[in-house]
Amino acid sequence: MLLPQTLAIARRILIEHARQPRTLFFWGLFPALMMLLFGLIYGHNPTMRVGLDATPAGILIGAALFFSGLGGTMAIVVGERERGTLKRLLMSPLNPAAYFLGIVLALSVVALLQAVVVFAVAWPLGARFRGNVALGALVVGLSVFGYVGIGFFFAARFARRAEDLNGPLAALGVPLLVLGGTFFPLSLMPDFLVALARVNPVLHMSEALKGVAGRGLGPHDIASELLFLAAFSAAALALGALSWRRLLAEEAGA
Amino acid sequence: MSLEVPPHAATTPVLRLQGVHKQRGNRTVLQGLSLELQRGEVFGLLGPNGCGKSTTLLIASGLLRPDAGSVLIEGAAGPGTRARVGLCPQQPALYRELRPAENLDFFAQLYGVPAAERARRVAALMQRFGLAPHAATAAGRLSGGWQQRLNLAVALVHAPALLLLDEPTAAVDLQARQEIGALIAGLNADGTTVLMTTHDIDEAQALCHRVGLMQGGRLAAVGTPAELCARVPGRAVATVITPNPAAVHARAALLGWPVRERAGALACLLPQAPHAGTLRDLVQAFDGVAISSVSVQPVGLAHAYLEVMQAEAASARA
Repeated sequence: MLLPQTLAIARRILIEHARQPRTLFFWGLFPALMMLLFGLIYGHNPTMRVGLDATPAGILIGAALFFSGLGGTMAIVVGERERGTLKRLLMSPLNPAAYFLGIVLALSVVALLQAVVVFAVAWPLGARFRGNVALGALVVGLSVFGYVGIGFFFAARFARRAEDLNGPLAALGVPLLVLGGTFFPLSLMPDFLVALARVNPVLHMSEALKGVAGRGLGPHDIASELLFLAAFSAAALALGALSWRRLLAEEAGA
Repeated sequence: MSLEVPPHAATTPVLRLQGVHKQRGNRTVLQGLSLELQRGEVFGLLGPNGCGKSTTLLIASGLLRPDAGSVLIEGAAGPGTRARVGLCPQQPALYRELRPAENLDFFAQLYGVPAAERARRVAALMQRFGLAPHAATAAGRLSGGWQQRLNLAVALVHAPALLLLDEPTAAVDLQARQEIGALIAGLNADGTTVLMTTHDIDEAQALCHRVGLMQGGRLAAVGTPAELCARVPGRAVATVITPNPAAVHARAALLGWPVRERAGALACLLPQAPHAGTLRDLVQAFDGVAISSVSVQPVGLAHAYLEVMQAEAASARA
């Protein structure tokens, strides 16, 4: 039942997104504009040009997947609550892992489209993907997994209505981005923040993808990041199952 | 109208609640509720807001666990029984961007209905619920009545043993209410067992084999509509509006008619069913008593409901 249920969830989410193209449009527009602006600024400053190839990776992790993966997951779960479909899902023999994996699968497709958009904007600006595309795709997949796990947890804990989405996304999500080295490199951070950043999955997503895309690193070079992300994905799945139980308890009490 | 109660065959009840207690915070929501539904039965739960109707449905659905007591679906207990139950929430719980058949197909997939059977069931439900002409319309763009039909169809897509309906016609217009009522009656004709909550007493009388009147987290009375009506000490109700209630009380006492006070009027319980001369007889009976208006109705479930609720309130006061 796991695979058919996973595919059913993913298909449903993708159909909904395809019929609400506005969300998809903005999920594409935001990283495209970020890439364009960063690319123009990097291109204008010869000393910064060396970092140009890693820029699409940073934007993909910090701007594109952050909103589609984390925000998107929260919106999906909160939407189920608001529509009342969550009660139906909880009544059905749906495996919580299938629900989780279905979201991961659907948002991975979205992430793929975002990656195409970002790199399509980056290419004319001179940025190049230096590494193995399959390895980059693996990092993106693991990143989506991680974001979905965090989004699931945030939605179960902190968001009951659509109006609640922005609060946890800003208050808890953006600090994850800052600690992920998206705004400042780790070298600028005090030691205790560096220690904190080391357990932040966003840092490992960002480091791994920047390494593959910008410096052409191979799987051995980013083994520690891959290991961390794989472990975090497993933890995210477990977190998703726990969050599902919480949703069940809350829905029965609603 | 009263439906014939299906024969209580020597089979396992589809739903059996035994001594169910539920506490929410400091409030006791259900206290020792026991209820059995036989296959093919339509059972209606009636009662004021907060009496425990919806909690009973949630517990029967398996979404909510009782603090004490047991819940058996076809003789089995545990989370696995949830799949044998179909829940139709009061508000349509649908994917708004998906078309009707896509909603049905999605839920059928979650229940593991095989592909060929899924296609057959989806087509059959689309046909039965009259959704075929709206096949190309997203669920969110359907009118309230059509959304509620789809809501009901989704609850049936896995062919549940027990269908739970939470005020199925509360949010729709009169015409849709009648159409949905007919659909529920049709489902029951096919042997579907239904537990429904409603505030619509006429709907309960028309659709339900048995009705449970709930008050304060327990069943104050259970029976067929006819059995519940028999609890009213009269066969007709004369609703009298008068500037002098004491005089009406006194005259009714002389005639041996029980009187109930209801929302600014007096309900005199008459011993005989209404007939062509009832109003004339009433005018004669109240000769010399100031009366603003009088109307007569045969005793119905609404009167039985009020009778039971007033008795419960009196008993609580005592």
